[in-house]
Amino acid sequence: MSLSRRRALAWGCVHCAGAAGLASAVPIPPDWQLPPRLTRPEIDGDEGGLWALVDREETRTRRSAFVLRDPALREYLTGIACKLGGAHCADTRVYTVRTPYFNASMAPNGMMQVWTGLLLRADNEAQLAAVMGHEIGHYLQRHSLARLRDARSRSAVMGVLAFAGGVGLVGQLALLAGMAAYSREHESEADQIGLLLMRRAGYDTLAAAQVWTNLRDELKAGAGGDPAKRSVMFATHPGADERERDLQTLAGAGGGFAGDAEYAARIDPLMPDLIDDELRRAQFDESIVLFTRLAQRRPTRGDLRYARGEAHRLRAQPEDAAQAQAEFTAALALERPPPQAQRALGLLHRAQGRRAEARPHLQAYLQLAPNAADAALIQSFLDEPLP
Amino acid sequence: MTATLRHLLAATLATAVLTLAGCANVAKISTGEVVVDNRLSFTLDAAWNQVNIPGRNKPVLWTQDGITVDALELWFGIKDGQALVDTPKDKRPLVFKATMAPHELVGLFEGIYGLDGSTFTLDKLAPATFLGGPGVRFDYSVLRKTDDVRITGVGWAAVKDGELVAMTFVAPRLGFFPRHVAKAERAAATARLR
Repeated sequence: MSLSRRRALAWGCVHCAGAAGLASAVPIPPDWQLPPRLTRPEIDGDEGGLWALVDREETRTRRSAFVLRDPALREYLTGIACKLGGAHCADTRVYTVRTPYFNASMAPNGMMQVWTGLLLRADNEAQLAAVMGHEIGHYLQRHSLARLRDARSRSAVMGVLAFAGGVGLVGQLALLAGMAAYSREHESEADQIGLLLMRRAGYDTLAAAQVWTNLRDELKAGAGGDPAKRSVMFATHPGADERERDLQTLAGAGGGFAGDAEYAARIDPLMPDLIDDELRRAQFDESIVLFTRLAQRRPTRGDLRYARGEAHRLRAQPEDAAQAQAEFTAALALERPPPQAQRALGLLHRAQGRRAEARPHLQAYLQLAPNAADAALIQSFLDEPLP
Repeated sequence: MTATLRHLLAATLATAVLTLAGCANVAKISTGEVVVDNRLSFTLDAAWNQVNIPGRNKPVLWTQDGITVDALELWFGIKDGQALVDTPKDKRPLVFKATMAPHELVGLFEGIYGLDGSTFTLDKLAPATFLGGPGVRFDYSVLRKTDDVRITGVGWAAVKDGELVAMTFVAPRLGFFPRHVAKAERAAATARLR
């Protein structure tokens, strides 16, 4: 399947929800009831066609090497989806996809995808439930079908206008603007339903605003700046600030189950891979904000201090070397320092011309990880004569 | 607008531009002495096909069976402070620095694959002779996000006179990589800067 086709199948992407504003959306009443379980539509209608399309996508996803084969994790995530979705649990299938970006989605046939970048970024079960509840909201309201119909009708109109001539850029912009406004209503509705489902499941509803605030802080540090200010369209609509405020208002006093320990027990075994994948994105400004937050939440974890230090070392701005050295030194005095912390500190000393100080750390790395992919290169550094 | 829609429209636009531009053209690279852009020379014992994509100058792209199957990329002329590839505005550019150590050079290529969510695994990184002097060889695997295909790669890199020179060869793990990697290795062994 082509890239563009597969991207078009990313139903209800949370990260892309952008700056949905609740103020413009139709309010969901507190006594809103879950709709009955969705039944498979007839194949000859547009909804049937949509389901057939996502069925094929699910077949591909099931076989994909990006999907984590971890029955315990899958059971845990499915359990969260079931607490939120009630009777719809029977129609929900959760796949964890190895991709280091914040995202989750739920297709109209009940296939839910949770990306590993989201697992790294959620602080606890309640925050993950906030994102999953939002996606279940899209699913319950059948937003992707409405989006398909809207896109189709707009394409048809644009086709007629193009045939008549003179549409060009203005027409394209009108199409985009219409879709943006349309999507924002759905995002707002999904936010409200997600919060309702969280409250009924006993989760701490304040987690919904927090997960959005965390993501925004991270993206703000990146090359694109504040995500709420990147686009003219976002600037002319209710912004991220308003969304955060509305989510906090809807959450009320909060309280309820956060699930810090439960979440950590499931996600910590994945942490070495999650950290590696995050660093490989090479978006170090964002990673520093992320790992700083994670390390502050869990100050005894050496792997998180290593990760923060490595993001500094790889960013290589003038002030980063000292910061990285401090982080690596701290990491090695804490729980679970990964062998890479020794490697990183050794490489940092070497880069600063302190080869004698580098040696014990590089030697320690090779002792801890003798079969590491870069063992031959590190050994060659150790073989260099000291100046 | 969702990022999904933006990507879709961008891909459609890119396809349309390529179509209007007459798409890529292919030139045969024969065996023997070959000089690329008056800068990088090879003594080839196997012929390659050079694919020229309108609007894209770097890296120089060679292939045996077509760029959707295998690709030998030649990176050179990249000076201190220059980015290897164009990145979206919301992504940090992958900038080469002349002071980079070998493992940091490899990190640049990791970053390229990471741009679309593909997973990069470094299988081996070792000192190697490249351009007739000290360099590194890196062997790696990529799980490509666009089509779920596992590809295998090998690369060579060195910094010479403050300039990054690198070669990478990638192809699907099954069949194509084992079939062509020796040709890429022999080409790399003869690479010299002029």
